[in-house]
Amino acid sequence: MGKETVFANLIREHQGLLFKVTSIYTNNKEDQEDLFQEVVYQLWKYFDTFRNESKISTWMYRVAMNTAITQLKKSKRNSNSVPITEVILNRSETKNDVLEERLKLLYQQIQDLNPLEKGLMLLLLEDKSYKEMAQITGLSESNVGTRISRIKAKLKKNMAK
Amino acid sequence: MELKELQTAWSQLSQQLNKQEKLTNEIILKMTQDKYRNKFKTLNTYETVGAVVCYIISLFVIINFYKLDTWYLQLCGVITLGFLTIMPTLVLRSLKKIKNLDIIKGTYRETLITYTKEKNHLLKLQQIGIAFSFLLMFIVVPVTSKIISNKNIFHTQPEPIQWFAVVVALLFVTVITRWGYRSYKKITDNAAEVLKDLEA
Repeated sequence: MGKETVFANLIREHQGLLFKVTSIYTNNKEDQEDLFQEVVYQLWKYFDTFRNESKISTWMYRVAMNTAITQLKKSKRNSNSVPITEVILNRSETKNDVLEERLKLLYQQIQDLNPLEKGLMLLLLEDKSYKEMAQITGLSESNVGTRISRIKAKLKKNMAK
Repeated sequence: MELKELQTAWSQLSQQLNKQEKLTNEIILKMTQDKYRNKFKTLNTYETVGAVVCYIISLFVIINFYKLDTWYLQLCGVITLGFLTIMPTLVLRSLKKIKNLDIIKGTYRETLITYTKEKNHLLKLQQIGIAFSFLLMFIVVPVTSKIISNKNIFHTQPEPIQWFAVVVALLFVTVITRWGYRSYKKITDNAAEVLKDLEA
């Protein structure tokens, strides 16, 4: 199997992960598409550097999250974007109004968090262990724990409003 | 709604996404091609066009510098040239640094710190640019007036309409400068807070 095929299979396998990371860091579908594409580009660019020292998904989270925070906001879309709108970024087929409503509320809560909290919240939602969160974020496990408690308190306060 | 419910909603989303495998290898490989990239392109375009305009005006001032025949006009010319060449160069350099951030080496925290610092640097430059543009308004007018119409405005008595134009321009620039400076200050202060928290 060629390198391209291995890479494409990897992305297909983890497209949900990429969708979720990009949805956390963007406010609209267009920006999400652009970010999704940029993350795939960065993963491809550094694909050869992956050394199996960590799980491939941990590496992918790290690249995706690092890419997301280093994107400057653009005011216009670039017409060169690959049209993936109706391919991955469409959840309409299995539309569930209750779920959509909850997700909307979830994204609203996340938007109020700062970039570090946003990253930790994503990993918390993904049910990652403190150890893996520490690996991805570069914080110590105890610091992750402290910050997660703070995020929970913040969310509780916001949701009570 | 409790955190538990948010986690359940997220987990349902994950299940939904797992069922939906729609990306094809062809689309994925298209995304890996550089020509489809769009990161920073728009922002860089605005900044590059702005810089090119500044460099063209600088060239125009350099070519016509001999027309500035008094020491104070020459001083105004030098300040104008300095502003028009140094500021855009610094902004472009700062943008390049952000664009070339190594996202693979650092952890999320490290990348966030480096990015916030670089972004803050860029914002500070733009903030300085706005503050200086106020001063530049008074310096560029005598230079362009001398070069284009061969008039030394330090020696001419302005017409009432010219006074009116100066007052309107002054008010306009004051409002824009104050607004711009305060907006940038708010953003850079927020970034400083984020940095403080990250480095704690």
